[in-house]
This record gives sequence, structure tokens and C-alpha cells, in this order.
Amino acid sequence: MIYVGAVSDIPDGEAVKVQGSVPIAVFHVEGRLYAIDDTCTHQDASLADGWVEGCAVECPLHAACFDLRTGLPSGPPAKKAVRTHAVVVSDGEIWVEESVAVEPRFPVGAGASEHA
Amino acid sequence: MSTVETATSLIPTLPGAHYTDPAIFELERSRIFQANWFAAARSSDLAKPGSFRKVDVGGESVLLVRGRDGGVRAFLNVCRHRGAQLCVEPEGTLRNKIQCPYHAWTYGLDGALIAAPNLTSMADVNRAEYGLHTVTLREWLGTIWVCLADEPPSFEATVQAAVTDRLGDPAAIDRWAIDELAVGRRIVYDVRANWKLIVENFMECYHCATIHPELTEVLPEFADGYAAQYFVGHGAAFGDDVSGFTVDGSAGFETIEGVGAEHDRRYYAITVNPQVFINLVPDHVIFHRMYPMAVDRTIVECDWLYPQDVIDSGRDLDRSVELFHRVNQQDFDACERCQPAMSSKAYAAGGVLVPSEHHIGEFRDWVAAAVGRRTSVQLERK
Repeated sequence: MIYVGAVSDIPDGEAVKVQGSVPIAVFHVEGRLYAIDDTCTHQDASLADGWVEGCAVECPLHAACFDLRTGLPSGPPAKKAVRTHAVVVSDGEIWVEESVAVEPRFPVGAGASEHA
Repeated sequence: MSTVETATSLIPTLPGAHYTDPAIFELERSRIFQANWFAAARSSDLAKPGSFRKVDVGGESVLLVRGRDGGVRAFLNVCRHRGAQLCVEPEGTLRNKIQCPYHAWTYGLDGALIAAPNLTSMADVNRAEYGLHTVTLREWLGTIWVCLADEPPSFEATVQAAVTDRLGDPAAIDRWAIDELAVGRRIVYDVRANWKLIVENFMECYHCATIHPELTEVLPEFADGYAAQYFVGHGAAFGDDVSGFTVDGSAGFETIEGVGAEHDRRYYAITVNPQVFINLVPDHVIFHRMYPMAVDRTIVECDWLYPQDVIDSGRDLDRSVELFHRVNQQDFDACERCQPAMSSKAYAAGGVLVPSEHHIGEFRDWVAAAVGRRTSVQLERK
């Protein structure tokens, strides 16, 4: 399990990044928490830096949209889904269970966890 | 400035080259339009989050953007990566970002660098250092004012002082509540004349009886040739038989709520150097912003501002707008008549100002000081 932080650390509509085998983004949408791979499957960009619209996040670079519940892209330019991960909340603290470890597609950024 | 002896009634204008020399215009861009506060747009032009407008300010392309938080910000329209212009359209709506069309460097509506291809792999890059260059901005009179200077002059001591100097009272302008008025009509004039001809024309009324028959009917004292700007705190009185500030002197709309008896049935005119003219009449405000595009071309954007309820009522604005629209056309025709003659050898040393125009001498000296004085020898070499 990967420790994320306190529930109160993520404002509604925002996300934080944590480091699994690849960067993982944890989103807060109207009281619910979602964890997906942070890197867009179209081009290297952080989905945590994108915009949450309902239950989807829009990549900041080319506006690919991913469903936070399923990881599926809504349409081009992304074709491949991002992985989703289980989120566990215990005593107000958030933990993520990475679904299946994979090789990173890109070098992992050292600053990955500093952005909230 | 001129070696010609003149009678004391007549003082010199700027030499002709100041209206025609592209090199002088470039100096004015950097030393006047970039150095001073510049009225870039009406605040309501940026109606909602994401609304943007691109404005040329002294040769720099400036983006005005309303953010998701509702605030307006100004940025240089240049990508921090390789310098591509971010926006090329004059205005429009951005959804949630300012994105360079070249390599997709992506900025928030607040100018912060949000994302760029492969940026997550460049751990040593501090994004905070690569946000868009911000431009200093103030909102006043429902107008977005920007200043490109590293250390902008005091807004209070320049823009607001210009208004106070004309009206004689710092609180007077608030009576019109210009920030609460709405644009009833906007007319954009593309004037083939140097911006200074337009300023100088606006400042004097020696021409009024000759080229402004309708205006002189409404404001009979203008036939004497003394503009409202010749005085401090003086509004030109409406003629006794005039009901309102309209093209035929017929009734206008209700006097704006805050305008009291001392300002009613009067016309006030204010110049805010270098590119704003404001006309105040009891029932509306006419606000001109000039955008100098070249040494011989100036765009003038003119807004007729009314209380929102007047516009909502659907009442016909035509007679109200037509008076000053006609004045503008008459003025800009006159300026375009002068422009070709500015390069004549007959005007190399400039012309003269009569006593009712002498206050233009202050503007002349302000401009000359800003660009640095040129000797007649330098002018003759051109």
C-alpha cells in the first residue's frame, strides 16, 4: 500500500501525485477518491495537472479525457486506458493499492510527489 | 524648436517629422506607450472566465485574460519555450488553458506553467520560473489599464491625477459611476493619422464652429473656440433651447443617478495621456481608447456608456450616439487631412498654436521630453 496523505489534503476537484512503480494520481471528486496512473497514454503529461470535469480528467496537453472510474479514454487523441487503483481510507488517511506493477513507460520524475 | 520668430499669440507645434518619422514613432512606442499606463480594453469585454483579448501596447503583444477566479490578468503574448505567439486571434474564449500551438507548452489562465510534453521527466525544471511574463494591471472606470514599464509610474499621480486636474475634484468622476455603466454602442474608427494629431485635435475647440455644427448647436460657447479642456472644473453649458446631448438637441435619457445639479446640462472632456479621451454628459459617458498602429495610422475604439436600465429598456440610442459619432467623423476627417501635409517642407518646422490652443503646448512638451529633443539640424538632415 502506498501512503497518500490525509483526506483533507486534497481539495475537491484537485489531485495529488504519489510514486508507485509509476506515478499515480489520486483525485478528489465530490467526496469520492479515485486513483489512476498519472501519465497520459498519449504523450508524457501529468493528469494530476489536468482539469476534473465530472468523473473524468482532461489531460492538460491535448485534452484527452479519462474516466476516473474505469481509466478509459473518451476518445482521441488517447487510445489506451490508464490503469485504475484501489483507494482505501482509514482514520482519515488515504492509501492506494497499486493494481499491477508495470515497467514505467518514461523515466520517473523525481519531483513527482511534490505537486498538490 | 523653431528658429522662426513668432508673435507671442502664436507658439510653435511639434515639427512635421514628429508626425511622419517611423523612428520617432518607435521611440514613442517604448518611451510613451510602454512607459505609461495604457487603457487596453473595457473590463466588460472580458465577459467570463476564459475570455481573452489581444492588444498591441507600444509594439508589444499583450494578452488580457479573465481567470477562473474571475480576475483579469495581463501577460506578454510570448511562449516561454521558443517564443511563439500564444494567441493570434484578436479576442475569443479559452476553455481552461493558454496553450502554445507550437510545442503545446500549457499555461493556466493565471499564467502558471501547468504542463509541457515530457516536462514530468525534467525533474530539475522549476515550473514556477517558467510562467508567462505578467504585465502590471489596474482596473478603474470599468477599464483595464496596463503598464509595461518595469517600474510603472504611480497610477494615482498620472491617470487619476489627469482626471482630477480637469474636473478640479477627485471625487467628481465617481458621480458618473463609469464602472457600472454598460456599453450601449461601440464604434471603431481606423484613422489614417498620427496619434498626436488626434490628441491635439481633441484638446482644442478652435475648430468647433467650423467643423462641428451639431456640437456647437448643443454647446453654444464652443463657437468661442475655447474647449472645456482649456479650463479646470468647467463644463460647457448646454444651450438654453437644448434638451439633451443628442444630435438634434432633443431630450436624451434620465440624468445618471449620482450626477448632481452642478454637473447637469454640462459637457466635460478629459484627456488622459497618452491615449484616452473621456466625455461626460448628464445621461451618458463617451470613452475613447486609441491604439497607435503606425506613425500614420491609429485605431480609435469609442464606447458610448449608459446605465444598464437604459440599455435594458430597449430605448433608441441613435440620436444620443449620433452626435458624438458625427463629431468623431468630423475630427478624424480633419486629422486625415493634416496627415499628408505633415511631410511637406512647408511644415518641416511645424505650425503654430493660437491662444485658445496654448494648453496643447503642455502636451507637445510632454511628448518632446519623452522622446528626447531633436535639433532643427537633425530634422533638416532627414
